[in-house]
Amino acid sequence: MRRGPWRVAVAGHSMEPALREGDWLFVLPPRRRPRIGEVVVLRDPRDEKHLLLKRVAAVRDEGVTVMGDRRDHSTDSRYFGDVPLTDVVGRAAFRYAPLGRAGRLRS
Amino acid sequence: MLGRLLRPTVVAHAHCDIPCGIYDPTPAKIAADTVAKMVEKIGALPKDGMDATTRGNFVRMISVKEEHAQICKKELEILWSDYFKPEHLEKYPKLHDTFWKAAKLCSKNKQNVDAAAAAELQAAVKEISDMFWATKK
Repeated sequence: MRRGPWRVAVAGHSMEPALREGDWLFVLPPRRRPRIGEVVVLRDPRDEKHLLLKRVAAVRDEGVTVMGDRRDHSTDSRYFGDVPLTDVVGRAAFRYAPLGRAGRLRS
Repeated sequence: MLGRLLRPTVVAHAHCDIPCGIYDPTPAKIAADTVAKMVEKIGALPKDGMDATTRGNFVRMISVKEEHAQICKKELEILWSDYFKPEHLEKYPKLHDTFWKAAKLCSKNKQNVDAAAAAELQAAVKEISDMFWATKK
């Protein structure tokens, strides 16, 4: 697990319009439990080498329910179920590129 | 440009893979069963002296048969190209051959009114369906 903030590039369209393909983000390590509305980076339950970006829809003791913002164009907890907290590897906190849309990511 | 230093090292996916997430051999089975049923119904029509209504039904049955032969082919192609993976091929070396023959049977059933060919298509779809469900275990 990474300690500091790390940089990820967005691929795909399930988080539009909040995140677009090609956006560059700072991701913070999960120091606390995710909160509803936050965008998290998680290991794909179907392929742990693959990382996903989704928004937290519900938080339970054992895991989180994650959903893409574009419900008609997202593979998320509706398909693979809740994700254990140990698979949440970070929280997307800030977009640094493109500069025109740079800024803190809202919940 | 922000330069190479700032380029992210990791890609996180906000993807949809619904087109590759939902697979089921049932639509192919229904289509193959429809083809067989139409062949059966066409065979039961009076051979000569069809009145206009019967002729209309005949044309409709032919049309449904051809349409469902085509649907069956399309559904099989989705399973073949999108669902089955190289590791499945290792387990089922006849996979490609089975799909190829099944696709050809779809064409044969589209062109002909042939109860034997329809039964062969149903059997081929069942074979594919069995392979599919075996990979889910």
